[in-house]
Amino acid sequence: MRPVTHRTAGVVLLCLLLVGFLLLGALPNQVASIRVGGLSLLWWYGGVLAPVVAVLVAIRWLAEPVASPRDE
Amino acid sequence: MTSVSRVLAVWLTPVSLLAVPAALVASAADGLWLGLTLSLVLLVVLGLAGGRREPRPDPERPGAGQLFRVVTLLVAVGMLLWANIALAGDVALWLGGQRWQGIVITATLGWLLTAWSPLRRSAPLLLAVALVAMLAPLLQIGWASGLPPIAAWDRVATQPSFRFPPSSPWVTTGRELGVARGRAPLVFDEVHRLTAPAGGVLRARTLDGTRLAEIEWTLAPGQTITLRAGDELSRSSSLRLRFEADKHVPGAPPSGMAWAEDRPRRWMRRVGLAVTLLVGAAALLRAGLTIRLGRDGVGFVAAGLLVAFVWAQAWAVYAMLHAPDVLLGGVSIERLLELPAPILFAEPWRRALQGFLLVGALAAFLASSVALRERLGALDPTGGGEIGRDPGLWAGLFGGAALASFWPVDPWALTLLALGGVGCALGPAALAPPRRGRGLLATTAGVVGLVAFVATAVVPVRGSGGLAGALAAYPALVGAPAGALVLWLGRGRR
Repeated sequence: MRPVTHRTAGVVLLCLLLVGFLLLGALPNQVASIRVGGLSLLWWYGGVLAPVVAVLVAIRWLAEPVASPRDE
Repeated sequence: MTSVSRVLAVWLTPVSLLAVPAALVASAADGLWLGLTLSLVLLVVLGLAGGRREPRPDPERPGAGQLFRVVTLLVAVGMLLWANIALAGDVALWLGGQRWQGIVITATLGWLLTAWSPLRRSAPLLLAVALVAMLAPLLQIGWASGLPPIAAWDRVATQPSFRFPPSSPWVTTGRELGVARGRAPLVFDEVHRLTAPAGGVLRARTLDGTRLAEIEWTLAPGQTITLRAGDELSRSSSLRLRFEADKHVPGAPPSGMAWAEDRPRRWMRRVGLAVTLLVGAAALLRAGLTIRLGRDGVGFVAAGLLVAFVWAQAWAVYAMLHAPDVLLGGVSIERLLELPAPILFAEPWRRALQGFLLVGALAAFLASSVALRERLGALDPTGGGEIGRDPGLWAGLFGGAALASFWPVDPWALTLLALGGVGCALGPAALAPPRRGRGLLATTAGVVGLVAFVATAVVPVRGSGGLAGALAAYPALVGAPAGALVLWLGRGRR
């Protein structure tokens, strides 16, 4: 079995961020449409929170462990 | 840094960039999903890139597998160029020019950039130009509106109705109905007076009680006709029309609240889009090569994607706030390259900002052309990257794409087709490469995936809802698992 690396954790987190959007949209009674601070919950999540968290996840977990002189 | 710009430029072609605000304008939730998926799947592919490498081909014996990869990717690159050059033609037409002008300018510049060796490493500079040129009009509109993006969103989402503003070109001078491409029917929901400034033939389907009737009017210049609620304007009418100010835009959502709400039961379509983009990104960025980015590189890519997504959101919101006529008959992406709210800016500022937008889109296209050429060249180590440097080949590719662009297509649908096709052919093996010496397995999986993709795409489907509709819209839902299954079965056999 291959070990779970930091990179794997990052990929799983990114996938969870995508799944979170689907789940939020599937909540009953149009919960995703509730307005908070001028935006709907769905927009806060899909347009602000998830993209920003994705950047942090990418920086923290997706980088190559050892810098390489060649990119490709 | 060059790799960072290459990754961004390959992925963020002008069509992909503009498809997000176009989708956001059409439906808030679907647009958000597209933008989020477009950003995150690329990071997922970068994250998976550190795993096992795809075996490099033997330089002495490239074999059929390498040929399959090169040809598939070449076709996909050609289709991506086609989509972007077709978009340039659409933009030229929408802004009052001729379709050929946009096509010839973009195709010629794209070919020159790929053919002239000193300019081959210009992708980072072009991306920087695109960034500045696209951000400047957005910041100007935000400043001139006096509303930050969140307040603008709130204003849009609480609109009781999307109505033609008095300054809209559809109201002041009128526009050719034929250039308003889109998928929504042009159905009126209130009495609306239409004027034909130059006259022409107008066709409509009118509702008389419960009886439908197809009617054709030959209008004299300046003649006005009144359509009632329920009447539908035919798109086959090719004449210049002026609409009435402060009337609901046909094809627009009923209200801001309806626009902001999520439509239920769209799971399969969303999964289909995510699968298409994931395998497409894997094929474009990983098939036959390994991307190695350090923390700074990954950070730059992620930040670039975030900036593009934030730009798309803000641009969509300001466009809906100031130019709800963008929704007339459904949104098509070339409309997003027109400066909304022309009334906010006096000449020559208006023209300058419009020019900025066009320069930004052109720079993004040129950066993508350079990056796609380098990408293809990197797949050809046996020929020393010759395929990426052959002016004749690229002249043929740009020429073919330019000729095909005279036939109007939906650039985003074509991009999805290219990503889905190349993704099913090369994506599964790029994401989970077989062991060294099992190149035939990767090729077999690619052929099976591609055949399944094409077969699903060409099968006629009744209705557009449910699983069948999702499979028809995103054939990669069948093709990618088929290819992955072959890889998995082949891996089990020693």
